[in-house]
Amino acid sequence: MINLFRTAFLVIIILLANCTVANAETDKSPEENRVDLIGKVLDKYYLDFAPLGKVELPRIIYDEEGLHFFRSTTHAINSQRGFTDAAFLDSGQIPTGHVKPVSYELARTNGTEIKMDLSITNHLFFFWLAAFVTMGIFIPLSGKYRQGIGRTSEPKGGFQNLFETFVIFIRDDIAKSNIGEKYEKFTPYLLTVFFFILFMNLFGLMPWGVSSTADITVTAVLALFTFFFTQAYASKDHWQHIFWFPGVPTPIKFILLPVELIGLFTKPFSLCIRLFANMASGKILIFALLGLIFIFDGLFGAVVAYGTSWLWIALTLFVYLIKAFIAFIQAYVFTILSALFIGMAVEEHHHEEHAH
Amino acid sequence: MRFVFAQSLLDVDFGLFFWVLITFILFLIILGKFAWKPILSALSEREKNIKESLEAAEKAMEEARKVSAENEAALKEAEITAQKIRKEALEDAEKIRADRMQKADKDANERLEQALQQIEQEKKKALIELRTEVSDLAIKAVSQILDAEIDEKKNKQLVDNYIKDLSSN
Repeated sequence: MINLFRTAFLVIIILLANCTVANAETDKSPEENRVDLIGKVLDKYYLDFAPLGKVELPRIIYDEEGLHFFRSTTHAINSQRGFTDAAFLDSGQIPTGHVKPVSYELARTNGTEIKMDLSITNHLFFFWLAAFVTMGIFIPLSGKYRQGIGRTSEPKGGFQNLFETFVIFIRDDIAKSNIGEKYEKFTPYLLTVFFFILFMNLFGLMPWGVSSTADITVTAVLALFTFFFTQAYASKDHWQHIFWFPGVPTPIKFILLPVELIGLFTKPFSLCIRLFANMASGKILIFALLGLIFIFDGLFGAVVAYGTSWLWIALTLFVYLIKAFIAFIQAYVFTILSALFIGMAVEEHHHEEHAH
Repeated sequence: MRFVFAQSLLDVDFGLFFWVLITFILFLIILGKFAWKPILSALSEREKNIKESLEAAEKAMEEARKVSAENEAALKEAEITAQKIRKEALEDAEKIRADRMQKADKDANERLEQALQQIEQEKKKALIELRTEVSDLAIKAVSQILDAEIDEKKNKQLVDNYIKDLSSN
């Protein structure tokens, strides 16, 4: 499975790898100057406010001795409770005294395995932030409806009007038009998913913000929920179409069975990859474009780098705008495809249609 | 070496997976209960209200149209009735007039008839009276004439015979 993921990204990775290599080869001290582009997108155990500093997040570790809670990674390493940075163990020398984490990967000094790392991460933090923003918007908004504004009268104010438009759009144009009669059951899920993804995407555009949707784990969970809703409410026809396709000769039924079974899983899989790839690649693209300035500096010298920098900055701005657009598009695409998959599964077919 | 970075990008982190899964369920429930349910119910209620009031307005309009049509029809009918009543009244009056005239004619004729009959009767009565008068006169005259010639006995017999003849006539 992981291999499949990898091939999807191979082109970008090779490109970036080459860039970094080119940079590294021409530079006098390659290791110091190397910028880890992929690392920018990776999940971290701290909030990066570079160049101001880092805010470390709590660590929760489960191992043979039970659960361990630490305020931060630094705290964990210096707590004298048998934890150290994995990088120290790799290098073979464990420093003494107050140390700062290097790789932020915790390891036991006695060599026993860490069973689960339930630490709060960067992406999780922004996932929660998106959740709280969603709640912070819609729970007060629902209060207005409870009071009767928008229930018996027209909605009042820009706040209510703006978000009501989104809600109605999702309910009518996404849920109702794709799911059909049973749309009411799924509208809350689609609304939640849409606003979560939207806010997560938008956080990626903010200074020091990261988009949690650029993490395949987050998109995988979201896709899993769509998969769950699709299968949990699937009609009898849905299962019949997978296991014993109606209206075709028996040998074809046997051919269709694996195809349909694979199709069952490729749908959420595509949802997961699409969102992740779009968000991650946008971010990598921005870093890569800005990185071109430094690559040109290495290749042709500082004059060329300064001379062409306006081009890369303009391109970066363009990509940034595209990303802002994509933030909405991808939230919409994920939601509408979820609705479509749910709609396909819950739909009751008429067998006359498949008689031929 | 660099593919290791790429791989870490595509690794599913268990801790994150766990937290996202748990908290997403939680937020889904909280949002569903405290945000989407009141919002969606309010929206559907509002739409229902709007739809109902539109329908009610449509219905009221239809009703009003119907009522006005009915009124018009009633007015027309009333006019027709009035015209009919007028016509009937005229006919009645004409009839009454004709009747009266006929009755008056009849009355007049009857009275005439009666008068004529009375006259006839009076005439008959007068004739009878006249006869007796005439016979008396004749007797007197004849007795005066014959006083000297014929005796009383014979005369009486003769006159009686004559009167007998007369009354038998």
